[in-house]
Amino acid sequence: MIEIQALNGNLGGFRLQDIDLTVNDGEYMVLLGPTGAGKTVLIEYIVGMYKQDRGAILIDGQDVTPLYTEERNIAYVPQDYALFPNLNVEKNIAYGLEARRLPKEEISRITEETIANLGIGYIRHRMPLNLSGGEKQRVALGRALATGPKVVLLDEPLSALDENLRAIMSHELRALQRKTHATFIHVCHNFEEAAAVADRIAIMNEGRLVQIDTLEAVKANPQNEFVARFLKTQNVFEAVSDGKTIKGNGIVLNKKNPLTGTVIAGIRPEHVRLQSENRIGETNTFAGHIVDIVPKPHFIEYRLDVGMELTAFLIGDVPYGPGDAVCVELPAEHLILTGKN
Amino acid sequence: MSGNPPTMAGTRSATGDRTIFKSFFYSFTGFMFLFSAYLFLSNLDQLVVTEAAIKTREITSWGEDREVMNMFAGGFWRDAYFWKSLNLTLMVTVITTLIASLVGIPTAYALSRYRIPGKAAIEVLFSSVMVIPASSVGLCLIVMFNYGPFWNLQQQLGFRFAHSIFPGMILASFVLSFALGLSAWKAAFDGVNPRFEHVARSLGSSRWRAFRTVTLPISKSGLVAGVILAWTRAMAEFGAVLFFCGTFRELPPARFSDLEKVLHIDQADFLSVAIWAQIEYGNVEYGFALAFILVIIGGLSVYAMHRIGAKGYIW
Repeated sequence: MIEIQALNGNLGGFRLQDIDLTVNDGEYMVLLGPTGAGKTVLIEYIVGMYKQDRGAILIDGQDVTPLYTEERNIAYVPQDYALFPNLNVEKNIAYGLEARRLPKEEISRITEETIANLGIGYIRHRMPLNLSGGEKQRVALGRALATGPKVVLLDEPLSALDENLRAIMSHELRALQRKTHATFIHVCHNFEEAAAVADRIAIMNEGRLVQIDTLEAVKANPQNEFVARFLKTQNVFEAVSDGKTIKGNGIVLNKKNPLTGTVIAGIRPEHVRLQSENRIGETNTFAGHIVDIVPKPHFIEYRLDVGMELTAFLIGDVPYGPGDAVCVELPAEHLILTGKN
Repeated sequence: MSGNPPTMAGTRSATGDRTIFKSFFYSFTGFMFLFSAYLFLSNLDQLVVTEAAIKTREITSWGEDREVMNMFAGGFWRDAYFWKSLNLTLMVTVITTLIASLVGIPTAYALSRYRIPGKAAIEVLFSSVMVIPASSVGLCLIVMFNYGPFWNLQQQLGFRFAHSIFPGMILASFVLSFALGLSAWKAAFDGVNPRFEHVARSLGSSRWRAFRTVTLPISKSGLVAGVILAWTRAMAEFGAVLFFCGTFRELPPARFSDLEKVLHIDQADFLSVAIWAQIEYGNVEYGFALAFILVIIGGLSVYAMHRIGAKGYIW
């Protein structure tokens, strides 16, 4: 188990502030946040690249902050994989084992097993320069996992891959984590990538952890406007709540809620409904018209005007065209409310 | 076939780029080689001394053997001064390069990787050493070592830097050799992503093992280039050595230390200084011969180091 307690650090003007994070044994945690949020810096602190100003990092109860990187038994896969260009694939994988001065037979056995597990036997004698993005990623993972680490830190491991390969590799990562039972911390800024692998996500912004929870919980109850917007809630607007109704942008929504005063309201585009019959006047249903239609690979994006701009994602053919009048329903159970930052 | 054109075009383009690069590279090096050859060959006549030239020239007051001097290239190979100077030059160059590398490579690594107080000042100091005339460097060394606390220290220790072979000549050639090598070594380390070391250490390597097994092999070409620069600068150094040490040709044997005598470098000069001395005293052919020898040694040593230096790695 990794426990990060009130970690504070200053790195050339960038501050990591009061990071408290617990990652359980065998858990797959994704650190999610926009570029510059401090995700990479945080895992670099965990690796031991920098000395923190305050706070502690505990692994299985032991404070590792006084230890050197090599003493922490943390595997680290940087964004560019950093495969040693002077060593071939086999030697890259064996590197950590040799550093631990294991017997030659043991090094050879583990290297063979790792190569077989990752299916990279066909590139074992190649130099990193001659590998594709996916191959590099597998080798970097193999090198990290060969030493049997308790904790694996992955810094945007899929960002250099194309979309198809990213989907395949995210499944492989998840499978690998389940097989090894290691604790994974995976940094990314892509919501879909996080959804594919994470047990829990920790959202970061401006050097702080903003929210830590399961993906479903964060989606259903984003802690603030930043989280709501970052999770692509879209359709986010400022409103005033009296505990029963939410008024803002010219519309009035009915939803019982514990908030009063200025709030941030939102609804994910896939939850916006377009009704074929005229149901204007029913709860949370408004008259509007279609501004634009943008076909996407797996759904159709509708830009709507109901006095405010809304986006809806619908699957399949819907018999509307730009300019058509529609009836738009924003179901109360899918409305997301959060206090203003 | 329809899927192939981009790849084919890419290959053609890459091949085209290589061809252009190769053409440019070989044209340039070919031109430089031919131009150098022309310069040397057009002056070959200077190597051959003639009776007429001897008569019109005021031969050195050093009292060379006229028979020896009246030979091809001043008969330098029969002159003990030449062999002692060659010995001295190689010895000083090897020692200087070794010291410059031993001090410079760790310094360059520290400058490249760590936040050191006064880092900018160190870099500016050594960079400026490269751009100011070597004679000024020699003069600075004289002022530094012949006056003030350094002079007093030398008095107490019973030796002197200025006008000495050990350690004066080594110090004079070291300053510029170190400055030139340092810039190359630092550039070599700057070119290696520090992440390689972080990853190596996360895999269990100590700091030293990470450096030895990852950083060093990756930066090898750049480091060898730095050693070549340090070597060439040490061997070709003239201004600083002349200003700081002068010449040793006419010094009485008693002036040389036992160590220098054991190393067969009494009454000798650094080759670059010897060239100047010979030309200055009218032995033009002798001077030219020494210049040729320096060119040959320099070329061979640089070639040898190029062979030792391995390929670079791209990541």
